[in-house]
This record gives sequence, C-alpha cells and structure tokens, in this order.
Amino acid sequence: MKLITKYIILTLILTGAYGTALCQELDEIIQLHLKAHGDLTKWDEVESMKITGLFTAFSEEDDFMAIKTKDGSYYSELALGKADVIEGFNGTSGWTIDPWFEILYPRELNRDERNVFKQKAEFFTPFYNYKEKGIEIELIGKTNIDGIEVFEIKLTRPSRYKETWFLRADNYLEYKYTSRWVDFTYGVPSETYFDDFRDFDGMIIPCFVERTFSQRDRMLIIEDIEFNVEVDPNIFVMPRSKEIEDIDFMVGEWNVAVKAFYSRGNLWYKVDSTESIIQFESTNLISEKISFSNSFVQSTINNFTFNSNNNNYRISSYDGITSNINLFDGYKTDTTFIIENAQIGCDSTFSLNSRISYGNITVDTFEAEISQSNDNGETWNSSLKLKYYRKKEE
Amino acid sequence: MYKKLNLIGLILLLVTSTLMGFGQNIANEEWNQFRGPDRNGISTDNITNSDCNGNNLELIWKQEIGSGFSELLISKGIIYTMISEKTDSLQGYEYIAAFNERDGKELWRTKVDSIYIDEDGWGDGPRSTPIIDSENIYSLSGHGKLSANSKKDGKLIWQVDFVVDFGSTTPRWGFASSPIIVDNKLIMEVGGTESRAFMAFNKSDGSIIWSDGAGNASHDSPLKVTIGGQEQILFANGSKLYSYSSDGDTLWTYNMPFRGATAMPVLIQDNKIFVSAVRNPGFFIVQISNNKVTELLTGSSMKNDYSSCVYHNGYIYGYHVAAVRCISAETGEVKWTKRGFGKGSLMLVDDKLVVLSDKGKLVIVDANPELYSELATVQALEGKSWTAPSFLKGKIYVRNLTGFACYKIK
Repeated sequence: MKLITKYIILTLILTGAYGTALCQELDEIIQLHLKAHGDLTKWDEVESMKITGLFTAFSEEDDFMAIKTKDGSYYSELALGKADVIEGFNGTSGWTIDPWFEILYPRELNRDERNVFKQKAEFFTPFYNYKEKGIEIELIGKTNIDGIEVFEIKLTRPSRYKETWFLRADNYLEYKYTSRWVDFTYGVPSETYFDDFRDFDGMIIPCFVERTFSQRDRMLIIEDIEFNVEVDPNIFVMPRSKEIEDIDFMVGEWNVAVKAFYSRGNLWYKVDSTESIIQFESTNLISEKISFSNSFVQSTINNFTFNSNNNNYRISSYDGITSNINLFDGYKTDTTFIIENAQIGCDSTFSLNSRISYGNITVDTFEAEISQSNDNGETWNSSLKLKYYRKKEE
Repeated sequence: MYKKLNLIGLILLLVTSTLMGFGQNIANEEWNQFRGPDRNGISTDNITNSDCNGNNLELIWKQEIGSGFSELLISKGIIYTMISEKTDSLQGYEYIAAFNERDGKELWRTKVDSIYIDEDGWGDGPRSTPIIDSENIYSLSGHGKLSANSKKDGKLIWQVDFVVDFGSTTPRWGFASSPIIVDNKLIMEVGGTESRAFMAFNKSDGSIIWSDGAGNASHDSPLKVTIGGQEQILFANGSKLYSYSSDGDTLWTYNMPFRGATAMPVLIQDNKIFVSAVRNPGFFIVQISNNKVTELLTGSSMKNDYSSCVYHNGYIYGYHVAAVRCISAETGEVKWTKRGFGKGSLMLVDDKLVVLSDKGKLVIVDANPELYSELATVQALEGKSWTAPSFLKGKIYVRNLTGFACYKIK
C-alpha cells in the first residue's frame, strides 16, 4: 500500500514537473514568437493599421483594403470574383454587404462569422496580449508539417472556438493555423498558411497569407501597411440599406391628424388625433406603430422593407382588430412613396384595390393618403388622410 | 560493289536506329485530345535539366483568341481548339477553330453553337476539349451540342444536341466533359434520359451505336485504359465509377466515397485507378482484377478540384485544393507541398512537371518526390488560367481565359 502511495506521489510530482516544464517552454516559445515579429515596443504604439494589397478569389486577383484597430475592430473592401464585398466588425458584432447572397444591403454576421472576424481583426498574431484578450493556450508538442519542424499550440478563444497554431521551430514565426471559417455562412474547417515575412519599420508581418476552406482558396498579398492612420469609427457601424435610407423621412415620433373624406359634401373632416412611432429596426426594416379611430379604433403595425429580388419595397401591415396581415408592394419617386396591395402567389382573383401615397414630405411633416380602387387601379378614390407632424423635443 | 555496301550500311543503320527506338519512349507526334495522346497528362517527349538552364523559356508568340477553357490540340503544324465571341453582352457564338502553330494566327473558324454565358462570372464559352482523328475534329459546346467538323476547313459534318435529342440537363457551369475515340466510336458522357447517361456515336455520321446508364452529365471526362488486356472506358459520374467495354457492356462499377469528381481518373501502374475530388475523403485507389474491384487506399492528402493529377514512378503529382503536391501512390504520404499556384493545372514531360498557376505563371519542376525543385519559370500569361498546358516537340502551349501563347523550352 505504501509502495502504491509512493508511486502515486511520484507520478503526481513528475506530471506536475512535466506540466511546469511545458508551461515554461510555452511561455518561452511565445516570447520568442513575439520577438520574431519585431520590436514589441513599436507594436505597443500601434493603434490602427491600414493594409492594402491584392486579394485572390476564384483565381481572380483584385485590390484589397483592410483597416484594423487595437480594440479589435475591422473593416475591409475586397472583390470576390464578380462581387464587391464590404464588411465591418466592431470587435463584438459585425456586418457584411456580400452580393453573392443576392442581398445588396448589409446583413448581420452570425456566430460562426463573428468568430471569423475575430481572427481577421488580429493585429498580427493572436498571441500578442493573449492573456488580456482572454485567450487560453496550450502547448501540444513538436511536429512536422511539409518537412518543417513546428511547435503545435492549441488556442481557445473566450467564445470557446478553438484554433491550432503551428510556429516554426527554427524562427518561431507562424507557419500555419487551423480554425473554423465560414463558407456561405456555414462553419467549415480551414487551413491558413503564412509566408513572405517583411519588415515594416521594425515590425515583422507575413505578406503572403493563403487560406483554404471547403474547396475554396483565398490568397492575400500585402503590398503596403500604414500604421496609426486616423480611423472614422462610423466605418464599423452597420450601414442601412440605401433604399431604406430613401424612406427615412418617416422615422421619428409623430403627432398625427386623421381626416376622412365625406363624399356627399366633397370635403375632408378631422376624425381623430393620434400618435405614431416610426423607427429603424434593422438595416433593412423600418416599423411603425399607430392607432387611430375612424369609426372604431384601429391598431396597426406596419413593417417597411426593401426586397432586392423584386427590386421594390415590401410592406406588411398587421391589423390588430381583424388579425389580418396585408401585404403591399411599394416604389419611391423623388417626391412620393406609393404602396399598393400586393398579389400573393398566383391568386387569380387578385385586383389592385388599396393604395397609400406618402407625399408632401418635409423634414417635419408628411402625409399618408389612403385610397381604394374598384377598377383594378384604373381610378382611385381617397378615403383617409393622415398628416404627420414631428414631435418637438421639450 | 560500293553501291551494295552502301545499301547494306543503310539497312543496318535503319535496323539499328529502329531497335534503339524501341528502347525509348517515342515522342508524341501530336497532342490530339484532352490531357494528351494517352489522356493521362503525360507527354512522351523529354525535357532535360540543361534545357531549363538559365530559365530557358522563350516566348514564341502570344495571341488573343476569345473566351473559353478548351485545351489546345496540336497536329501537323495546326492548333485546334474551341473559342467564343460575344455579339453583345448576352449573346454570341462558340466556334471550333484552327490556328497556325508557327505564329498563332487564325486559319479558320466554324460556328458550332450559341455562346455559353456563365452566370457566376467564371468565364464564358466552351469548357470541353475537342478530340481529333486523321480527318475530323469532334467538339462539345457549353450548351451540349456535339459536332464533327472537317480538320481541313472546319466544315460541319454532323451535329447532335444533348439537350434536345437526349433530354440532358445542362450542368451548372455548362457541359464540360471531353469526348474520347475508340475505333469508330465517339464515346461521351451525355447525361440523357432513358438510359442515355453514357453514349457511343458513330464518328462518321453521329448515329447512336450504344447507350446506357442513368445520371446527369457531370464535368468529368471518360478515360480509356487497358487492364488485363481488356480495353475499358471509365466514367466517374455522380457517386459511382463505371467501367464499360467499348461495345457498351458494363464491366464493373464501384461506389465512390464522394460525389461529383471533376478531375479525371488516373491509371496507376497496370491495374489501379486513382480518383480524387475536393470533397472528403479526398481520394481513393482501387485495384481491378478480372473485373473485380478491391479498394487499396483512401486518403485526404490529395483533394483535386477541377485539375487532374499525373502519375509518375510510384508518386502522384497534382493540386491538393490549391497547392501543388506530391504524394506516394502506395501510402498517400505527402512528400512535398508547394503553395502559391492557386487552382492551376499541370502535366508531365519525361520526368519534369509543367505547372501552370491559375494566374498564368509557368514553372518547370523536377518530378522528384524527395524535393520540390523549380528548374525554370516565366509569367506566361496574365489573368485566369484554368486550362492545362499542352506539349509537343519542345514547345509548351498555354491558354488563359481569352488568349493563348507558345513557349519554346529548348
């Protein structure tokens, strides 16, 4: 029994000693790795970087530009084959305008994509200030890749996404890493290789980065890096779709006067005063909540979006009284925004019968005129007018 | 008396040189089909190390010819290939065309179909490589029209339409399979309905000799091999590898571990077949014996996308996704990897690899499993270069999306 206890103690001591030795070795490797990247005091002074170069996707090489900041923000403009892609990330959330998705406006990044942008946003190596960034690392050992002796290091980000880094044993520079990447929003394994390390004012940076994931191949050749460029923080903010910005005249808090048309007297008369709140919900969505009374109180929620596929606006109007959802298609001219009831599917009984025209638009007012048609849109009869007055801050 | 001695001497000389010739590979007289005379990406010509000394790649000519991906066929001083030309942004035509090998100047062109427009923007025009025999050239357009034209002047001899005549569905990115000739048969992957996935046409008049199989047309091209003295036509289609006799009898089939191989199957030694795809697991090698298939090796160290491998002395050289790589055909072990070529192409001349990057960089590399070693390099073309090089009599013929060029190596 005593012998077993002795063996256990010895094993624990040896394991602990081995662990300590590995930790010491890992610390030493990381220090040498950072040193291989140049003067750390210079890196400490870098607040932002603007990288320009050539990016190859689908065998087509095009200009590339990326901006990175010390707080982990990232912005880039690049071409993916026939499509120009713009992407931004504020260190936590991000967006992309990627026409390959047949969406021409920005969309938010999903979890796997945010992990990709964490990787893209690294200044030069994730091991720089890794403890402050909440990154855990573990030395797996020495191995050989493509005939090159490398240290294999497991890296775990605070999000629990894992990467494996391979640092050359001869010069401690990164040779390769594996990580989760994304292919059309889906997480896939990737391999990234580094080469052509160059000196930028005492800081050493790989100017050839090649990444493969699924069957994709992406190559970045860095041609120039500017340090501590002035960065407008707005570039990281998710932009709104251009078309939604075209109807942003309606965004705000409003007092609304409701008038109905009295056909016998051929005059408009006021039937209610109410309020409306219209706000941006996301890049391509404006919503309105309004409640007004003509004969009885109608509470509606209107959602305004732009449909890239049909190249028109698509509006849904939820009626709180009848629980009906009415769909409208819309188009914008210089002075008016007109929405009309939309045909759903192949409804053979469809006829154009409802229209709302938003006009007389100024900074602080606009009108919504509601009309009906009995002849499939040949003629329209106005029934209600809603005049919106922007509420003034007290 | 002297006349008699001269005659004997001449006969001896002829016999000696003929015998010497048997001991060596006979250099190709033409590059007549997709991936060369044996459809294996190998030229029996040779390049020596001294040929490459001093980066000895000399540009002979360079020409714009029109959009397309067809390989360049060279025979008797003429280059044959397929090209396209747009008449406006959405329309145009595909052509079979002939060019003078000396200067790349066009000799004739014949319209074979309307142009295939690639919606993804990868490149318009024909994808398939024609095949030539002594009289004619046989081509497949991006929209699936199989044509026979005279080599002499391009005159149309016959034409069939895969979509109209056989119910084929145009594959995404267009018809890309390249025809093969066995005796009087032009054998194709058609992807037609009613057991017309694979078809053999009478090359004289386009009439159907046999048809069989179910499945859509893929981007893969058939390979002719002789295993155990038996001629076999291999199709890697969908998730199966099919072997047919040239008479249309199924010899064997094999369920591949992946779908959609685009790179061509490769014959290894006498009776093994290597097939690779960019999807997992990456590649497999099977052995064929008496039409029985035995799986020998599966691995992930080689994942071909659309560029095919070559086999040489126990090793496979090819594009692992976008890196040029050498692996052991015995174990799949990676011998070396060289990045930076994108998704290019390669072929083998003697014991030298002729590698073309996807952006037109041409490199001669020693086909040596121990070491990646470049012998010569030149930026041969600009822009997207997905077409594999052709080689004949010391000249390398390369093509990018819109043009072609000829380089001399000696």
